[in-house]
Amino acid sequence: MANIRLLDKRRKSIKNIRKITRTMELIATARFKKAMDRASAASDYTNLITAIVQDLAKSGTEVSHPLLQSRETVKAAEMLLLTSNRGLCGGYDGSVLRLALQRRNEIAATISDSSMSVSGKRGISALKFRGIPLEKTFTQFDDAPAFDEVAKIADDLMERFITGKIDRVDVVYTKFMTVSKQVAVVETLLPISNLAIEAKKSKPNATSLTANESTDSKLKDDYEFLPSAESILEEVVPAAFRARVFKCFLDAAVSEQIARMVAMKSATENAGDIIKQLSRTFNRARQSKITQEIMEIIGGVEALG
Amino acid sequence: MATIRCVVVTPEKTELDVQADSLTVPLYDGEIGILPGRAPMVGRLGFGLMKVKQGASESSHYVDGGFVQVRREAVYVLTDRMLKPDSIDKTHAAADLEKALALVASSPETFAMKDRAVSQARAKIRL
Repeated sequence: MANIRLLDKRRKSIKNIRKITRTMELIATARFKKAMDRASAASDYTNLITAIVQDLAKSGTEVSHPLLQSRETVKAAEMLLLTSNRGLCGGYDGSVLRLALQRRNEIAATISDSSMSVSGKRGISALKFRGIPLEKTFTQFDDAPAFDEVAKIADDLMERFITGKIDRVDVVYTKFMTVSKQVAVVETLLPISNLAIEAKKSKPNATSLTANESTDSKLKDDYEFLPSAESILEEVVPAAFRARVFKCFLDAAVSEQIARMVAMKSATENAGDIIKQLSRTFNRARQSKITQEIMEIIGGVEALG
Repeated sequence: MATIRCVVVTPEKTELDVQADSLTVPLYDGEIGILPGRAPMVGRLGFGLMKVKQGASESSHYVDGGFVQVRREAVYVLTDRMLKPDSIDKTHAAADLEKALALVASSPETFAMKDRAVSQARAKIRL
């Protein structure tokens, strides 16, 4: 027969766990909202940068920049991996790591010199465990990545790309699609291949900043470029790249909070189920104990009479 | 009197969205003043002070490179960061300048990088 006291103890501890996971869920929800606000505040910049790129293209400027040129032979490739600093977020880190390792194997087959940079303690420890050497590690990014910090990483990547130390940069992160859908993806950051593709995508969800332009968009604006279109292009490409890397970090931060929210929600529900089950076993055990005691008493009375 | 909508956007958020009488921004090769009704333009920003005039009051902000785009409906200033002029540490900037001057430029690309770092540090000291 199950030990009543043990069952009760177990139930109490699970009730405590449920309290903790519920609190963590609430914290993750609050952080998710904050991260989401940041991400939507950042989209204005991206939209405006894309608008400038489009205007440049419309003016007939030839879009060429060292960051846009793909190298014929790729000798050295760099991979940037965005994971979380803390655990308890379900399959968030797992799916990013799986994809990254798969990609690493693909790269290793063709390119001799590949290196990895990782952001997030979880990713760092997972790769160390596998014995994979890491080029650079970052642990300073939490739920609100600062642009200045991201820009440093982006500048470093750009510098190494331009000076020819690396020929390609991939990023592996969890892309935020909708609140209910986030997927781990591999994207090529450098050479930048799709300045124009990104522009097409961001058009339909133009924010309030660009919304009022629709009325006079029929009128074609003839822009004056100061000092010259080439000079602006020289600056706009790095700016777009930095904004893109920043967006990856923001996406990763939002996705992490969602993953944690979902994981903690299911943990809370699961704890509830276990408590229900344990209560049932506990009650049954208590009842059978009472029945047994009554039987014993009746037995004793009968033996006396 | 006609006013001009002035919007300053950084990668993190929209820092400023005001109606102004005029504004002055530091371009790559000199300052430019923008009044209401300015013809459409895209300009490359340098490092320095942006001044926004609203009636009698004038506010100034430090902008760290980027672009200015004059459209029909507004002037958009895109910059990596916007700071209050008095929040900039000049001794820090002087150290940055020394570091920038010590960079070795061996190719056109690294030369451009060095040039950028030097002018950024100098603009901060000049404030």
